[in-house]
Amino acid sequence: MAEAQINETLHIPRQPSAPRTFSQPYWDGTREKKIMLQYDKKAGRYQFFPRATSIYSGRRSDIEWREASGKGEVFTYTIARRCREPFRGHEPFFIVLVTLDEGVNVMANTVNVGLDEMKIGLRMKPYWHPLPDGTNLLMFEPDR
Amino acid sequence: MALHDAAIVAYAETKIVEKSEVDVWELSAQILEELLDKTGMEKGEIDGLILSSSQTGAGNNFWSQTTADQLALEVDFCQMVDIGGCSPAGAVARAAAAIDAGLCTTVLCLYSDTQVRENNNRPRSFTQEWTMPLGYLGPPAAFGLLSKRYEHQFGLDPRALGKLAVAQRDHAVLNPLACEKLRKPITVDDYVNSRMINDPIRLLDSVMVCDGASGLIVTSRKNAEKKGFTKAVVPVGYGERTIYRASEAIVDPTLTGHKAAGEKAFKQAGMAPKDVASFHPYDDFIIAIMMQLEMLGFCKHGQGCDFIHATDFHFTGNLPLNTGGGQISAGQVGLAGGGTNVVEAVRQLFGEGDKRQVKNTSNALVTGIGGIPYGRNWATSVVMILTPNA
Repeated sequence: MAEAQINETLHIPRQPSAPRTFSQPYWDGTREKKIMLQYDKKAGRYQFFPRATSIYSGRRSDIEWREASGKGEVFTYTIARRCREPFRGHEPFFIVLVTLDEGVNVMANTVNVGLDEMKIGLRMKPYWHPLPDGTNLLMFEPDR
Repeated sequence: MALHDAAIVAYAETKIVEKSEVDVWELSAQILEELLDKTGMEKGEIDGLILSSSQTGAGNNFWSQTTADQLALEVDFCQMVDIGGCSPAGAVARAAAAIDAGLCTTVLCLYSDTQVRENNNRPRSFTQEWTMPLGYLGPPAAFGLLSKRYEHQFGLDPRALGKLAVAQRDHAVLNPLACEKLRKPITVDDYVNSRMINDPIRLLDSVMVCDGASGLIVTSRKNAEKKGFTKAVVPVGYGERTIYRASEAIVDPTLTGHKAAGEKAFKQAGMAPKDVASFHPYDDFIIAIMMQLEMLGFCKHGQGCDFIHATDFHFTGNLPLNTGGGQISAGQVGLAGGGTNVVEAVRQLFGEGDKRQVKNTSNALVTGIGGIPYGRNWATSVVMILTPNA
């Protein structure tokens, strides 16, 4: 009963994000199609989504921003089949969690991938979708 | 003094409906009156009020005191518990703690929500920035992601999950307070063939949001004895964990805080999973029941489907499951929905289960699940073990 077709979500009008004071560097990075991640210097680990402090130590002073490769593999996925506006009518489409090589999970939509190819472990790379304010929304496509 | 120095001496519950015809405070007043009738107490004897969260009350920063004012309750302890679906069980633990600390003696735990009639919730969380731009439909999408991961790690047998759905539905048919729309038997095939919402989450995996209310009177055991209550239920074990593995960037979503909360509750109660007489887990999606069976130690991690096939979850079976139908088959009363399974456990231990009364009333295990964080499973897990006052 699964549909053969998975839609892409590129035509759906999306509003620019409203960054928090502490997540602004991430959104600034997307203007240049860079994935900026918070990195805890003492723990030697990344975190996502951006938070006001380190998830490892609870100290905001341990955080610095570093550019990530953006490459990774599918950790899990779901097929959205019933959505609210403005996504209604554009189903079905994928929502994936991608484990970046830096060791964080990022949730996103996908392009250029169908049901036959999608699987956990599939290698992915970034695909940037422009938003009205000049920032870009991170999506993923297969890294073939 | 301890948790078990408090006792639940009465429960009340409204009919669960698709949309309430009356205001949320009218439902609350209905619960108050039923509890006064059942306990024979004057309202002045209630000196504590603990509310669950409420989507209707969400626009009001003064929800517990406003509700106290509306019901004309003069209390020495007043709060709302905002750990989502864990709030009703969490309220019992907080009532026991407040009574133990001498802050009050008799607490009304009140769980009312009319989310369908009036939803005032405007969440401030990660969602606006990180998930709403993806067409992420909240809990169904979160459970789709975690179910797919579970399937990848362990395999997932839809017929096992369907068996849980059928058992709960059979119980809802026997529960006159369950939402009428849901009081129709289903089969495992109905479950398996129900349409996908967020693969592999199906329609019959999911709760239907409803309106309604429930509540409890919790008082000190000393007061319960003094007043001569013949029926009383005592919390003998409680565990609560919020943001399990908070300091890890990637968390296996098949592991939950119920592991930590369950170990604590069982230890406190001096019990093991094999001793559980009836099981009333929080059920927002069917797979959450299976994951709790694993995390609480009824079976090993990843072996939930086999355990389900080998277990009889009917109220007459060896592990009665959500004997009122659970939220999935009785209807989810918004953020107060955790009250449905808490009240059903108390009802069973009082021996008032009527056509669905379980035989073994030596204890009941109740759980909560609350909140959906980013890319994990759920924010808060609670486990509470109840026994009749022996």
